[in-house]
Amino acid sequence: MKYIVEVAGQRLTVELDGPDVLVDGTRLRAALETIDGTPVRLVRVGDAVHRVIARRSGARGDYTVSLDGWQLPVTALDERTRAIRDAAAASASASGPAPLVAPMPGLVVRVQVAVGEEVTAGQGLVVVEAMKMENELRAAGPGRVTAVHAVAGTAVDKGTLLVELEAL
Amino acid sequence: MCIGPPPSSQSYLLGDRLIEVAQRTGAQAIHPGYGFLSERAWFARAVREAGLVFVGPPAEAIEAMGSKTDARQLAIRAGVPVVPGTTEALRDADEAMAIAESFGFPVLLKAAAGGGGKGMRVVRERHELAAALGSAQREAKNAFGDDAVYIEKYLDGPRHVEIQVLADMHGTVLHLGERECSLQRRHQKMVEEAPSPAVSPALRARMGETAVAAARAAGYVNAGTCEFLLDRDGSFYFLEMNTRIQVEHPVTELVMGLDLVQWQLRIAAGERLPFEQKSFEPRGWAIECRITSEDPGNGFLPSTGRITHLHLPSGPGVRWDGGIEDGSEVGLHYDPMLAKLIVHAPTRALAIARMERALRELVIDGVETSRGFHLRLLAHPDVRSGDISIQWLEAHLAELTSAPPHEETVRLAAIAAALAAQHDRGLTSDTAHAARRDGTLEGWRAVARREGLRT
Repeated sequence: MKYIVEVAGQRLTVELDGPDVLVDGTRLRAALETIDGTPVRLVRVGDAVHRVIARRSGARGDYTVSLDGWQLPVTALDERTRAIRDAAAASASASGPAPLVAPMPGLVVRVQVAVGEEVTAGQGLVVVEAMKMENELRAAGPGRVTAVHAVAGTAVDKGTLLVELEAL
Repeated sequence: MCIGPPPSSQSYLLGDRLIEVAQRTGAQAIHPGYGFLSERAWFARAVREAGLVFVGPPAEAIEAMGSKTDARQLAIRAGVPVVPGTTEALRDADEAMAIAESFGFPVLLKAAAGGGGKGMRVVRERHELAAALGSAQREAKNAFGDDAVYIEKYLDGPRHVEIQVLADMHGTVLHLGERECSLQRRHQKMVEEAPSPAVSPALRARMGETAVAAARAAGYVNAGTCEFLLDRDGSFYFLEMNTRIQVEHPVTELVMGLDLVQWQLRIAAGERLPFEQKSFEPRGWAIECRITSEDPGNGFLPSTGRITHLHLPSGPGVRWDGGIEDGSEVGLHYDPMLAKLIVHAPTRALAIARMERALRELVIDGVETSRGFHLRLLAHPDVRSGDISIQWLEAHLAELTSAPPHEETVRLAAIAAALAAQHDRGLTSDTAHAARRDGTLEGWRAVARREGLRT
């Protein structure tokens, strides 16, 4: 089975071939073992054994991989699914910037934008308090505010839609 | 005993409730810890008036050190050095110049009503002073409606170095050397160590004597900490005194070989300190990392959830002071600190290596933590050489959080994800291999044939 793996802004081809893997054409001996009762998996590459947690996140093929002190979002898809996902992403990117959602539960302290306002990448949109700290949630990219759902003084759950944006 | 619901305003901050619970359980004393009511003089007094022992200083000492301005006045009277400067608004540029020349440039102009850097100016040369004062006053007037501006000596890249003090009820006041706590983000310490790479035995003795003098002046009893700014030229200035045990006390315990919390209880019970000052020489090096449920890759936003798997590091010289276990729910009611990981080793370099090993061994699954950030922090050459100041971490935050992983790590993550994806499809590489050997035969047909042959 051949996987197209996206990690840290790179695309690598990982082909599983029996006891071997081919990473971008380089052949290595590799195997995965699970440990019962823990999410930790042992990944052997060559002679080295690494403790890894690959937690499923979101869509099929999406993992958060913890190793060597890093937590990396990784997507591993077979060629066909990768091609379908790429085609879907290409059509979705035309639909505008991603909306702002609450990354954690908390209390909305301030709303710093109004409908119709143009915002720049990195501009603070909403301030949410959690764990005694105020956290400014910023725009990922430029856009125009089309809807503001956040209300100062109200509690929000993780994933609550706060601000919607459209492309300029 | 349940003291109340999770919000601290309905539980840990209710002094009367804590005293009531202590009385119901037959406790003789209350140890206030290092958060919540630990530095509230009214609570110390209420505990005493309820006939219980407050494990900490007398309420009067907490009050004397209560505000930075009171503590500064007390320190000046006790002959303890403070950052030179005025506490009254400057009248004009001539007065500013006279004061600046009394302690030398650079100086810092600071709005009395200040905050967020507004009305603040660093002045490095004498000819810039008059213009800077004018603009700081205008900025302060616009921002706060008050043009009062102070002046103080500006320290370029000072360190945060603090001295642990232990005092009994019988007049013995000792110091237990320093802790280096310069690595801070938003005034929150992230890594602490003892001793400090910038403190010689002679400087330790001088800072220690100064801290003891400040504690004596406040009538201090029990464990406390005097915080200082240490300038590059070796001058040091008293900031304030923390009238409680501190989060980072384990590094002092490890290099001094005693249990500070046990001594807090023994002092509160009236025991005498049986030590001599000269018995406190640091042995080896200790480092603490505060493991928090913050996501460094996402602006240090707090992360919540359930701890689904916890694996703790172990081995010689590794200590874990933790507040979590498998299945713990990390919510938003309290501070994001989950645990403290502390190591002790003969030298600073070995302590760093031991901390790196312990951080790699630690597994906390279920919430984002600062673990990986600590590893990258300890890998930085400035941190390894001890060349740090209180501004260092903020200045290097972007570099530390955006650094890409090594090629080797990326390749390994890709292999792990591909193997995990394969495993999660329930298709082991063995059956795939067998199917391929079989030529045109698909895997499911091979399995069906094997099933068919079963008896």
